[in-house]
Amino acid sequence: MPDTQTAAARRPWLDPTAQPFVRILNVTKKFGDFTAVWNVSLDIWKGELFGLLGGSGSGKSTLLRMIAGFETPTAGRIEIDGQDMTAVPPYERPTNMMFQSYALFPHMTVERNVAYGLLREGKSRAEAMERVAEMLKLVQLTPFAGRRPHQLSGGQRQRVALARALIKRPKLLLLDEPLGALDKKLREETQFELVKIQETLGITFIVVTHDQEEAMTLSSRIGVMNEGEIVQVGEPNEVYEFPHSRFVADFVGSVNIFEGRVIEDEPDYIRLASAEAGCDIHVGHGVACALNQTLWYAVRPEKLRLSRTDPGGAFNRVPGVVDEIAYLGNLSIFRVRLDSGKMVRATRANVARVDEEATSWGDRVWVSWTDTAGVVLPR
Amino acid sequence: MTRRGLFLPVVCVLGFVFLYAPIVSLVVYSFNDSRLVTVWGGFSTRWYAQLVTDPQILGAAWISLQVAAISASLAVALGTLAAYVLTRFGPFRGRAILTGMAAAPLVMPEVITGLSMLLLFVAMEGLVGWPAGRGMTTIIIAHATFCMAYVAVVVQSRLAGMDESLEEAAMDLGARPVRVFFDVTVPVIAPALVAGWLLAFTLSLDDLVIASFVTGPGASTLPMVIFSKVRLGVSPDINALATIIIAVVGLGVALGTWQMRRAMRGRKAG
Repeated sequence: MPDTQTAAARRPWLDPTAQPFVRILNVTKKFGDFTAVWNVSLDIWKGELFGLLGGSGSGKSTLLRMIAGFETPTAGRIEIDGQDMTAVPPYERPTNMMFQSYALFPHMTVERNVAYGLLREGKSRAEAMERVAEMLKLVQLTPFAGRRPHQLSGGQRQRVALARALIKRPKLLLLDEPLGALDKKLREETQFELVKIQETLGITFIVVTHDQEEAMTLSSRIGVMNEGEIVQVGEPNEVYEFPHSRFVADFVGSVNIFEGRVIEDEPDYIRLASAEAGCDIHVGHGVACALNQTLWYAVRPEKLRLSRTDPGGAFNRVPGVVDEIAYLGNLSIFRVRLDSGKMVRATRANVARVDEEATSWGDRVWVSWTDTAGVVLPR
Repeated sequence: MTRRGLFLPVVCVLGFVFLYAPIVSLVVYSFNDSRLVTVWGGFSTRWYAQLVTDPQILGAAWISLQVAAISASLAVALGTLAAYVLTRFGPFRGRAILTGMAAAPLVMPEVITGLSMLLLFVAMEGLVGWPAGRGMTTIIIAHATFCMAYVAVVVQSRLAGMDESLEEAAMDLGARPVRVFFDVTVPVIAPALVAGWLLAFTLSLDDLVIASFVTGPGASTLPMVIFSKVRLGVSPDINALATIIIAVVGLGVALGTWQMRRAMRGRKAG
């Protein structure tokens, strides 16, 4: 079983005997009356690239700053590699941080920026310069060693910041919106570069981002934060396909949510009556619920099927009118107004170069989905 | 449109005349050959020659420069500390008092500052025997005190505008707070420190009132000498002295601006 072996090694969170590398235990941070982080507990394993995803004000940056040591938790503990770090000042922690603004020292050259951490560590100038040269090679900045930060492009600055944060070989690298200031194309390239560097060096990364796509591309696991709390932790596909709540379903990707009432509750399926959808919803697996309970059914746009003809059956199909079409090249997004008045979003991959059904504005279409397409959410 | 087009230049010219006519006339009359200040008697530089041989004026100028340089340096050190505490230490006990105290000399009448300083020095001499008598030392202390407030204001705004994550980054890379201050904070706020120093230097060089209160025998600053001379009637050599001061200050400002421009150009190039 060599496959499970490697899978377990790559996914230590599935191994109950593995020791977490970073432990955050019941951490709370208050600024006066404002609670920025509330009772967060989180385990992160060695070699992970953990994504902290949340909107602005969700507490993700505060949590990161507590791990770096810039903020002290109001309550709770933070352990790194088995050592309690709660009261350790930032300059004694085995972590380094890459700042959102990059925070490059404007009065120092690229080389001196990168060397700064090593020199503070007491390394000799010769050794420091040797390691700086190596690091600059890794991030492909060797020709720019003598430049000042303001003489660099955004992408180059980002790489200087990364090099400076990596030079001390930290046990844990913290990245605060590392790609936020880059344009889309550069961001995509850099995402893969970042993952490659992380795999080469084997350093544990924690990345804070508000961009769900970025979190999905980079992370081994994602922690979704909302109003100071971690609302769900999981691998990217888990968070996307099996969200625990309407918030997560809606925040990660886009989703159509129907409110429904349980009218049949069997061990192998349940059925919801939904006025919002305008049809009954059949869910092809058992759900722990009670009759007449209100539940929400979330289904992703790419799992809805549009057709001009009635697909038939008594459930999971509802007619509507195409309200808007956005053609994105690789796919098209349709906004369909159901007869119930609810607006739903459906995407279709443009696998052929010409749409045979030629669905257009104002057309009457059927929206349908399979009984495994969506998830039932209790809240 | 035409009215607006005429109105602006006229007001502009009037404004400049209002500001600079007295100075221009002073410069012109410093080259006046006549002993009477208000009567033009032909071009001459004799007052400049007389000036550089006047030991009283030269001595006072030397004292003024020393006082200004030392008190400006003290004011920069103290003012920067105050500004740093006020911008970086968050809310702490006594913060409001410190804010008020640091800014008070800006609005305090000079007479009161001077008088209270004098009383303090007299009381201190009686209690601890230092400063023994009044003279250059007491002027330096008094000037450093009131210049510090100006430096604190200038440095505070620069500190507030500085990206704090620069300091955090240095700390994150293993620098202790004192090290961070000298490695990162000071270089970044250096322009404000230079500006603060120049401002303090000028203020000290200008000051007559406070210096008059806290000075003692043998320590007359340039403004004090000029003032006492003028009381006996304006003599042309004062015009010459004033012209030299204007030239020195103008040159300093020009140098500063040029230096700043060059730094900016270096920044944008490449």
